[in-house]
Amino acid sequence: MLTGFTKQTRLSPRWQQLGRVKLFAGLKPRELKIVSSLLHEREYLKDEVIFDEGEEGQAIYVVLAGKVLICRQGEPVAGRIAELGEGEFFGDLALLDDAPRVAQARAAEKCRLAVLFRADFMGLLETHAVVASKISLQLARDIGRRLRVMTQTYTRGVS
Amino acid sequence: MNAQTRGSGPVVWAAVITVTCLLLVVFHAALWLVVPFLVALVIYYGLRPLANRLVLAGLSVETAAAIVSLAFLALLILLLTFLLPWMAMRAVTWQDSVGRYIDGGVALLLQTLAALEERFAFLERVHAAATVRAQVVDFTEQFGQKYATTFAMTLATWLPSALLAPFLAFFMLRDGRRFQHFVSRAVPNAFFERTLYLLYEVDRTAHSYFQGLLKLTVLDAATLAIGLWAIGISSPVTLGLVTAVLAWIPYVGSIAGCLIVVLVAATDFPNQPTLAYSAVGLFLFVRLLDDFLFMPMTVGRSLHIHPLPSVVMLFIGGAIAGVAGLMLVLPLLGVVMAIGETIGQVVTDPRLRARHAYAKRLRASEAAADLSN
Repeated sequence: MLTGFTKQTRLSPRWQQLGRVKLFAGLKPRELKIVSSLLHEREYLKDEVIFDEGEEGQAIYVVLAGKVLICRQGEPVAGRIAELGEGEFFGDLALLDDAPRVAQARAAEKCRLAVLFRADFMGLLETHAVVASKISLQLARDIGRRLRVMTQTYTRGVS
Repeated sequence: MNAQTRGSGPVVWAAVITVTCLLLVVFHAALWLVVPFLVALVIYYGLRPLANRLVLAGLSVETAAAIVSLAFLALLILLLTFLLPWMAMRAVTWQDSVGRYIDGGVALLLQTLAALEERFAFLERVHAAATVRAQVVDFTEQFGQKYATTFAMTLATWLPSALLAPFLAFFMLRDGRRFQHFVSRAVPNAFFERTLYLLYEVDRTAHSYFQGLLKLTVLDAATLAIGLWAIGISSPVTLGLVTAVLAWIPYVGSIAGCLIVVLVAATDFPNQPTLAYSAVGLFLFVRLLDDFLFMPMTVGRSLHIHPLPSVVMLFIGGAIAGVAGLMLVLPLLGVVMAIGETIGQVVTDPRLRARHAYAKRLRASEAAADLSN
């Protein structure tokens, strides 16, 4: 029973897949195992709405397979913002607060998503602070990267 | 999404109250299962942080649950091994003490009535003290015959079901998250986020309630013990703890607790009735502290229920299921309220219903894709 303390945690294909997700980069196998137990898996068909713009967000989504389109509400073509593939994540601001979603998310093709709820993330902060802080760091890095891209785009537009 | 901020309509509230009452009736009928389940929930919320620590140390959820549950069971067996022989040795002394304390309480009551008879003529005319004395003698003589057998039978019925609690707690620790995932898989994509929010709300409500109840018991026991010690009554810690645990039963438990303290005070100091009155004063003071400070700090915060429906539901709970109803009604109302408000929001949201209908059409056309050729 106590062998768990000593033996190396073997990773299942699902955990290996999670290990490639940017949000979970830097997590040790046993930490990944903890996060994995918190994730819910959902499947969406092409064009199915994942969440709407203005909806109060409760969870962050990670793309495990397929593609997801982020767009303005009801404008999948004209209002296209980004297309996300395997390993990428979206709806991340919901992890920080329950502010409304800023865009709509739709399945660009049949896809499989892992969902981490804010309540679980908050629980993680209390019970496994190291794991939660690693995820927070990745989240902050990603938000910083997007902010830089936006600033560059804005600067170019002004000049 | 936040169920609390949006509030609920009268229909949802009526449904919540009706379902709570129906559940109380069902629970009252299956009390032998409900009580171990509740005890198991308390154990589960108490042991969950320990199991989480073991998971972080590298153990699987199953192993962590097994280790924590076995350790708890071992501790329980160890405690009983030492406690039971000690209790058996002292049973006779306790029996005498109970009789002594009841006599002390009756003496205080008769003493007070006699004093009142001297002041109020109408009490003297109806022979209040003599009537009460006759009734008390009648009650104590028949108590054994009337209730002893029922008490022994109830104990024999409840003992096996009480043993269920640690096992239920183990399965909750091991399969709790699996159960949550199992339930969430049955929910369509459109309603998924809100339904999960509901499950978290139920878990949060139950967790805060039971944790709050334990904190409240500690606060009550400590305050009462300090107060009783200051007055000079014997065994203040034991009395404080017993009365704090009795307070789990709203209203009835508090009265019973106060009665015990008065009995002890009246017996320990038969010639000083002021001490018994001070004990009653202390009890009332602690009740006030409880209602206005401790309760809002601990249990009250967890349920988010307005005081008026809480009191009304306590009366309804007591009428439907007696003492068990009094104990169960508030946590049950909190859980049913969280479920009812979220279902109300999901069902009445036209956008979510439209998204679900669209997803169903997509699935139907995917399933029939090769059938038109």
